[in-house]
Amino acid sequence: MQLHYGINDLKDVDVMSFLPIVLPVILVGFILAMVALIDLYKNKKSRNNVLIWTLIIIFGNTIGPILYFVIGRKDSERA
Amino acid sequence: MNSFIVLMNKEFTQMVRDFKIIWLPLVFILLGITQPVMTYYLPTILEALGSGQGITIDPNIAAQQGGEILAGTLGAQFDQLGIIIIAISLMGIIQTDKANGMLAFILTRPVPVRSYVGGKIASNYIFTAFSVAVGYLASYLYVNLLFTNVAIFDMLTALLFYLVWILFIISFTTMISTLINSPGLIALISIAFLIGCRLIVGLSSMIDIINPASMSKHAMEVLITGSVNSNAIVNLVVSLLCAAIAIFITNYWISNKKFSNE
Repeated sequence: MQLHYGINDLKDVDVMSFLPIVLPVILVGFILAMVALIDLYKNKKSRNNVLIWTLIIIFGNTIGPILYFVIGRKDSERA
Repeated sequence: MNSFIVLMNKEFTQMVRDFKIIWLPLVFILLGITQPVMTYYLPTILEALGSGQGITIDPNIAAQQGGEILAGTLGAQFDQLGIIIIAISLMGIIQTDKANGMLAFILTRPVPVRSYVGGKIASNYIFTAFSVAVGYLASYLYVNLLFTNVAIFDMLTALLFYLVWILFIISFTTMISTLINSPGLIALISIAFLIGCRLIVGLSSMIDIINPASMSKHAMEVLITGSVNSNAIVNLVVSLLCAAIAIFITNYWISNKKFSNE
């Protein structure tokens, strides 16, 4: 079993064979994260914990943007 | 009736402002296409991780029926992550109005409670049903592309059955949202109860009849076998009745002003 792939092995991977099928999955996740990030950036002045939410959106796959939309879009008290 | 339309439009405006109109369909599309893609690549994944010792991947494994995969989408994705996402997105449906005093304000106006609750549930149901249907259609397209074709009539019947279960999910979450004040607790109770309902499906035929979650099982059966279970119609009526009871309790609770503002 080959667990480690070097940079030279990359050209052996046949990307085109699975890309058309996997691409929509990646694309939808990407749009979701982008919408969340754009909204966060626009309101960065009035939101709490902007940095933490950015990390959650980027690294919390799918569930991160959802959490942001549901509970992260509250403005802080002082704003 | 007029205030019903106004309150419904208000809900839709709220959804646009919350970006719910973008993310909920996207999430369900993502859930819907995960199942076919995962199943399609399962042999490859097993081969890559299973070291090939003592394991042979029979090429015939790919000959799975499309209907089974589509049923898997409903049973494995929508009934688990889907329920959690719907419950979380709806936990504030009435609770936010209670918390910021909007509910008390609306009730000082000559608005029937019926219109208020009806508008909330109708708008949220239309939108959630739309999201689920979009995700389901995406899954259907993928299944047709990667596996065998599913009869379009079976697909629509299953979707119809499934949407009845969605109606119960929404009315139940709304009811909990009216009864309880803390958003976290609302999400927890709804998720625990609804997933509990889904888990006990199939344990006993008596419970199945009064359990709205068995609509989801009937939907899966239609997809796998292509025929409608004889209990499905009884179940459909009972599920609608359960949803109606939940809506009635919500209505009763608000109209008797049993909510508190804190």
